[in-house]
Formats: sequence, C-alpha cells, structure tokens
Amino acid sequence: MKRKTIDILLAAVMTAASVTGCGGSGSGAESEPAAAQTESASEEGGGQTEADVSEPVTLTVLAGQSTTDAGIEDMIDEALAEQYPNITLEWECVDWGNDFQPKMQQYMQSGLPDIMIGKAQDVATYAPQGILGEIDSTYLDRGLDAARENVTIDGKTYGLVYNALYQGVYYNKTMFAENGWEIPKTQEDLQAIIDDCKAKGITPFASHMVDTWSIGNVTMQFMMNDVFNNDPEWGDKFRAGEVSFSEDQAAQTAYQYNKLIFDNTYPETFSTEQTDCDAKMVLGEAAMKVSGSWSIQNFLDIDESFDFGIFPFPNQTGDSKLIFEPNITVMTSAQSEHQDAINCVLDVLTGNQELATEIYDYTKTASMLKDVTPTFANPSQSDIDSYASDGMIVDVTLGNNQLVWGGFQEENAKDIAAWLQGDITFEDALAASDARVDASSAN
Amino acid sequence: MAFWKKKEKEQIPSAPYTKGTLLIQIFMTFAAVLFIAPILIILNYSFKTKKELYLTSPLALPSSLQFDNYKKAFDKLNLATTFTNTLLYTAVSVLILALLCGITAWAIARCKAKFFRFCYVYFIIGILIPYQALFLPIYMIGYKLNLTNTRYGIIFMYVATGISFGVFLMTSFMSTVPIELEEAARIDGCSVFRTYFTVVMPLLKPAMATLVIMQAFQIWNDYLLASLYVSKKNLKTLTVAIQSLFSAQTSDYTTAMAAIVISVLPVAILFISLQKYFIKGMTVGAVKG
Amino acid sequence: MKQKKKRAMEKNLEKQYFVMVLPGMVIFTIGLIVPMFMAFRYSFTSWDGMTAEKPFVGLQNYIDLLHDADFRAAWWFTLKFTVCNTIIQNVLALVFAVALDSGIKAQKLYRTAFFIPCLISSLIVGFVWLKMFSNVLPALNDLLGTNFNFLLLGDGKTVLSGLLIANNWQWIGYWMLIYLAGLQSIPAELHEAAKVDGANALTRFIHVTIPMLAPAITICVVGITTGSLKVYDLLVSSTKGGPGRASTSIIYQTYATAINGRQYGYGSAMSVTLVFVLLLVALIQVKGLKSREVQQ
Repeated sequence: MKRKTIDILLAAVMTAASVTGCGGSGSGAESEPAAAQTESASEEGGGQTEADVSEPVTLTVLAGQSTTDAGIEDMIDEALAEQYPNITLEWECVDWGNDFQPKMQQYMQSGLPDIMIGKAQDVATYAPQGILGEIDSTYLDRGLDAARENVTIDGKTYGLVYNALYQGVYYNKTMFAENGWEIPKTQEDLQAIIDDCKAKGITPFASHMVDTWSIGNVTMQFMMNDVFNNDPEWGDKFRAGEVSFSEDQAAQTAYQYNKLIFDNTYPETFSTEQTDCDAKMVLGEAAMKVSGSWSIQNFLDIDESFDFGIFPFPNQTGDSKLIFEPNITVMTSAQSEHQDAINCVLDVLTGNQELATEIYDYTKTASMLKDVTPTFANPSQSDIDSYASDGMIVDVTLGNNQLVWGGFQEENAKDIAAWLQGDITFEDALAASDARVDASSAN
Repeated sequence: MAFWKKKEKEQIPSAPYTKGTLLIQIFMTFAAVLFIAPILIILNYSFKTKKELYLTSPLALPSSLQFDNYKKAFDKLNLATTFTNTLLYTAVSVLILALLCGITAWAIARCKAKFFRFCYVYFIIGILIPYQALFLPIYMIGYKLNLTNTRYGIIFMYVATGISFGVFLMTSFMSTVPIELEEAARIDGCSVFRTYFTVVMPLLKPAMATLVIMQAFQIWNDYLLASLYVSKKNLKTLTVAIQSLFSAQTSDYTTAMAAIVISVLPVAILFISLQKYFIKGMTVGAVKG
Repeated sequence: MKQKKKRAMEKNLEKQYFVMVLPGMVIFTIGLIVPMFMAFRYSFTSWDGMTAEKPFVGLQNYIDLLHDADFRAAWWFTLKFTVCNTIIQNVLALVFAVALDSGIKAQKLYRTAFFIPCLISSLIVGFVWLKMFSNVLPALNDLLGTNFNFLLLGDGKTVLSGLLIANNWQWIGYWMLIYLAGLQSIPAELHEAAKVDGANALTRFIHVTIPMLAPAITICVVGITTGSLKVYDLLVSSTKGGPGRASTSIIYQTYATAINGRQYGYGSAMSVTLVFVLLLVALIQVKGLKSREVQQ
C-alpha cells in the first residue's frame, strides 16, 4: 500500500518537474513569430503551387463577430471543403466588441493568424502597424467598388469587405399607416410623431441603453448626419484642435438627440437588452427604434410577418442620409506562409455565389459582391432602395476611421449614459470627450 | 412549483421542535428557496423556445419539455472534446497542486531558516496579484516559453496561479501535524523526502482533499487563462466554448441557458457527492488557520 | 565535535528542504511574479500594447493617474463594493452557519442549496442576475400586483445594491461552509461550561463562539476583501461597468484603458496601484486579525 502511494507520488513529482523543465528549456530558444501557426501545418513544404494547394494546409482564422454573424463559419467550412478539400480552417470566433482587440494585441506579440475577420474600421487600426497583407485585386474586383474606399491606405487595399449593414430608424410600418404618420424628414416632423405617440399612449422609441455600445452606435449615426455631413474632416480638425465638442454646436446637437430618445422611451431602458428591446418593437409596444440591420434577425425570428421600414434619423437641416456600414471584413496576415491557401479561401468567399447568398440570407445583411443579391424577404428593402437611388446613403466608416470606436466612441458613450442618468452634467460629458482627444485615433 | 413540495416534505419533524428551532427552520427554508429560485429560472429558460421567451411571462413554464436547446448547445459546445479537455486540465492541475503545495508547505513549516520565512511571504503575495490585469505579460511569457496552445502550458499556468492559495492552506494545516512522528522517522535514518512521503503525506490527506475540491471548481470555471493559452479547437475548454456561445447567442439565450446547465451539472454532482469530505476538509484545513 | 556534526546535518537538511520548495518557486515565479514585474516595467512606458517599441516615459503615467477622474471613480466604486461585501457577506454567512448549526432538520439540503451558486462562474452569475432584475422579477410584480423597483442594475444609484445581491448570492454559501466548519469544531464543553456560569445565548455567542471562530473570521474577511477588490467577471456580463461608469471597478477600468483604449502602459500603472492596495489591505487585516486571535 505504502509503496503504491510512493510510486504515484514519484510519477506526479516527475510530471511536475517536467513541466518546470519545459519552462526552463524553452526560455533559451528564441522563438520565431510564426511558430504558433506553422505548428499546425509543419509538414508543409514550400507549397509554391499557384492558386491551388496540393497538400493539406490548416489556416488559423480569428473571427471577431457581431451577434448576427455567429454560425457563418460552418457555412464557409462546408463550401471550402467542396472546392478546396485540402484546406482546413481552424476558427477562433470571438465577440468583436469585447474580445477582438485583446486577441489582436495578444497575437501581435506572437504572430497573427493567417486570416482575420473583423470590421472595416479595423483596417485603419492595424494596417499602419504593417502587419496586414494586401488583398489580391482578383478578389477585390468581384466586390463592389464602394467596398474598397475605406479599407485602402496609400493605394493598397488590406481588407475584403463582404457584407454591409444599414443603420437608421426602424419603424413599425403598420403602426405608421394606422396613425397616418409620414416618414419624418425634419426634427419638427419627428417631434409631431412623438407628440402623437404620447397622446395615444404609445412609446415613441424602443431602446436598450444597458448596452453602452448601442448608445455609442446611435451617437455616431447622429454625428454622421449633423456633423460629418457638413464637415467630412471634422475628426481630423478635432485632433488638430480646430473644433471641439464643448464649442461645436452641431456635435452637441448630436449628443442631445440621445436625450430626445431617452425622454421618449420606456423607463427601463437601462435594464433592457437588445433582444428584449427588439421584442418590444415587434410586439407593437414602441413605434420606432434607432438601430441597424442586426435587429432584422431578431425581428423576423420573433415574428416573420413583422412589417417594418427604415429612415435616417432626421437632422437639423432635413437632409439626413441613410447610414451604410461595411461589416464583415476579411484581413490577412502579411507574414503568413500560406498565401496560396489564403487566396483559395478568398476565392471561395468571393466566387461562390451560393455561399454568399446563404450568408447574406442568414445574417440578413446586404451584399457587397457584384451580382449577388440576398433572397430573404426584407420589408425595409424598398426603403433602402429608394434612398440608394436618390444617392442619400453615407458610409459610416468615414466617421469611424476619424474617431475610433475603442477608447473613444465607446468611452464617450459611457459619459453620455452617465449624463442621461443625471450623474454628470452635459458640459461634463462634452469636456470628457474633448479630454479624450489623444485616444481618438488608433495610431 | 415543485421545489416547494420537496421542501415541505423535508420539514416533517422527526423530533419535536422548540419554538426557536422551528422559527429558524422556517427562516432557512425561506432563504433556501430564494437561493434556489434563480437556478430554477435558468432551468425553466433552458426548456423554452425562442418565441415563448418573448411572448410568455418569464415565470411561465414552457409549454412542453423539449430538449432542442440542449441539443443545440451540445453541438455548438463541441462537448465531447471540450468536456474531456476541461476534465483533463482540471484533474492534472489539482493533482499536481496537491502534491506540490503539500511538499512546499511542509518544507516551509519545518525549516526555520530565514529563507523559508521569505518563501512563505513570497507565495502569499500571489494570492493578492490580480492576474486578470496581467493578461498580456502572462501571454507573452507563455508564448516565449512555448507554453501557448499546449496542454502542459495551460496546466502549468493553473498550477502557477493556484499554488499561492495552496501553500497558504497547507502551511496553516501543518501546525496540526504532530512533529514527533517525523522526528522518530528521522532518527530511524529516513531522508527528508522519505519522511515526507511515508509519514507526513498520509496525514495531509484531509487538507489535500479541501485543496483539490476548492481548486477543482475554480479551474473548471476559469475563463481568462484558458482563453489566453488554448485557442485551438481541439484544446478548448468548456468555459471558453460557453463564453463564445454566450457572446454570439445573446439573441438566443435559451440555448445559452441550456449550456449553463450543462456546464454546472458536473461540478454540482461532484460537490453533492463529495460534500462530506469537503466539509471535513474545511474543518481541518481552513479553520485551524 | 558534536556541535559541528549537528550543524552539518542541519545544513544538509536545509538543502533537502530547499529542493522541495524549488519546483513550486520556479513555476510560481515564471507564471505570476515575472508577469507582474513586466507589468510594473510597462507602467513606466507609453506602450500601446501593439507596437514593438515601448517608449519610456518615467513616472508620467502615475502623475496622470492623480488627475484621472475616471480612475478615481473606479476606485471609489471598488472600495464601496468591497466594504459592503465584506460586511454583508461575513454577517450573513455567519448567521446562516449559526442557523444551520442550531440543530434544524435537513441541514445537508440547505447546505447544498446555499452552496450551489458558487459553483457557477461569475460570468454566468452576472448574466443570470441581469435577466433576474430586468425580466423575471418585474414579471413577479405583474403576477403579485406589486410595484417593487427591481430594475436595480439600470440606475446608477441602485446598481451597487444589485451587484451586491448577485455577488452575495454567489458567495455566501462558500463562506458559510467555512464558518460552519469552524462552529462544528468548537468543543461542546466550552458552551456547557459557559451555561453553568449562567451565560445566556447571546453572551455565549460573543464570549465563546466568536473568539473560537477567530481563525475562520480571518480567512473569510481577507478572502472576501481581496476577492471583492478584484471584481471583474461579474461586471462583464451584467452591467459592463454601467450605467455610465457607475459600476466600473478598477480592474474593469484597467481593462478598458489598456486593451480597448490601447494605452497598455497607462493601464499597467492602474494595475500596479491595485497590487499595492491589495498588499496593504491584506497586511493590515492579517496583522489586525491575527493579533486579536493571539489575545483571545
């Protein structure tokens, strides 16, 4: 009995010692940055065959996803297995808002995954670090030209924009028709609807302010139409010290719209999550919601016959544009040893129309590829089309590139929430945004 | 609700109550119900369909007992792999911790040299280090030592972060270990190591049991280290899988609720079945501190 | 001669003990102490967490911290959370333990009921209580026709109490077990003796039970304080530090600054302040509580 115990102990101590040993011996070896990825496909030789991969390769993928995107990795895997059976993707799916940046920081210390999927604004953050690979024009050409603009730096394109979201005010079409409300073009129009809502006991806006990101998101929507609409370089001027939140009337107006929403939504907004908020909208408890395409999935999940439309949140000058946001953006590692395999993946993504349609239908988003149109019934499509044909659409990446999300917009949103809650004054919130000027740019 | 009935059954007294104990019994029943209620809510949610979630009251029972959410959670979590991984990391880590902490604590308790006093303080500092705030350096050092994306790497980190508490617990327990036995063994010519393994170790069992249980559920539930050190699909842990399911499925939290049940069940069973040892271990391990 | 031999033996023994301590020391040092020193070093740089170079800025980060209102607010919240937690959790855990030890029926069942929540990871606890406060409990209002304000997490004034409820729900059972273990290890003769002396239940509790529980109290107080100072997971899945910044803890602020705000050096300086506070608090508490133990 005793001897047995000792044997077990010895074995365990040796295990412990070997663990320590690993630590010790490893410290001497100067590790090469790509070690993390090459491990999975170490038998791979040069693999210099063109555009095709003859030997099995495993590519690592870091996917920063929005709530609507989860699940597309399986669709991509399936399509890839059919077209390029030798390539396997090893997915690491994380939440874009919370975990993408930490993961990127982590991998910048060791070596990037072969493929990274984020948002268009990530290109501006990471490309200047010199770590992203250029995307081959073969694949870019299959996408819409509009997709390139904000992911191109000094003439080189580092991101493949795959789909797009629209942002604005979603409204309950049935309710609008029943009450005879017209699409509001000006603040006065909007106020009239709000007043009528209140008279009839309807909550004008559904909102979910427990999610600080939603405050940040709508604030950028407001900024786009009231600030960047008149001054496309506002963010750069802000950094140059020419304009500031404390002095710029238009920027303050954009902040103030949050108060308009807050005053005209249900009292529990700071306890309501997006899903519950979307449900309230579908159940007819509120007339409008400032949001984006990510709500469509929820709307239709709860009630597939829910009839809704979209209009841009009216600005002071009555010329608001519908907001367009390039969403899923594929980036590649400049250091990767598997450029061919990466290109095969890009080929599947851009060339396989069936896959693309499947993804758009699933995420309920708009296509950024030429000749591919989603087939899901989107009640707000007619509205989008009419704004598009009038040229009343604006790409929010303009604003997001000048005033970054992490560390700036996100932090400002916290101040706005604190202001709405009455914890700080409006002036404090503005001053806090101004004080954060150094964090407003990624580089 | 079902749990009420169960509680009432338990309450049937086999010996007469005094006024005081009856009052306490009622108070504790009330408190226990409050404590269990959120768990029942989780269970209730995990059986609901998405439509029921929005269209019925959160307190309403699901219309039928269907396991769709569980099936979905099972698939999404890649359960066979993640469960085995988590079990492996947890089991090996706690085993190493029990052995390592025991031997370290014993040396610290028995050797009066200054160095060992320093050792004690050195280890205790670890309890206070907020490793959540150090995640980038922790990752960088792991990467430089080739510990990332390996099984032994994550185990190494669990041992490193758990050792402080283990040494603390074990050292406080040492005062209850009679020194006479050891001295007798040494006079018989046993080396320090043999003395430890033959004489001391068996006496440490209760404290080791406490340590194993306390660390086991912490490691089982760990998110941060696992997400830093094992990102490969075949090495992932349950909590990491749940977390990604979680952040991805905020719109589908009935599935997330099912995933919670799946993840908590094993530790809950472990606790309920080992409860006796746990309490016993607490008594000897923690209280003599 | 004999003296010399004894010393040599002692030296030899020490060597053997040293070998026993070594593996643990090495693992611990590499895994935790070295990263801490790395963070300490970064706190003197303006590193953004991404670039290769880490520009040295001296004490600038620490000077900036003095003027950082968000940092102060984060500390204020953390301290409030810690103090409330330490008091409430200790008292309730002790009350529950005493109640369970009073000879009621089905002790095991209650023990399990109170303990189960702490098997759930804090991340999930936060998520569950967000749902409890915003959906489940308001539904209870509808059911009972009452009008309690359950939206605790939705208001900066009540968010602390909401989080305290969630945190206490999770941990009371854990500390209760430690107190319970302590209570059960008190020899019955002590109580009998006090009874003979004519002490009533309350005096017995204060003069017999509490002193005998001193070691357990030390463990619980230190454990709850240091744990509460490090609160983070709970917030991630419930309030995300909000509404506004009302529930931003120091680790949460560190994370937001260092990672999302790409100011790794500055964030590191924040975490260094936390390490110092933790050390200080633990030192004071252990010294204070231990000296009480000795006195008793």
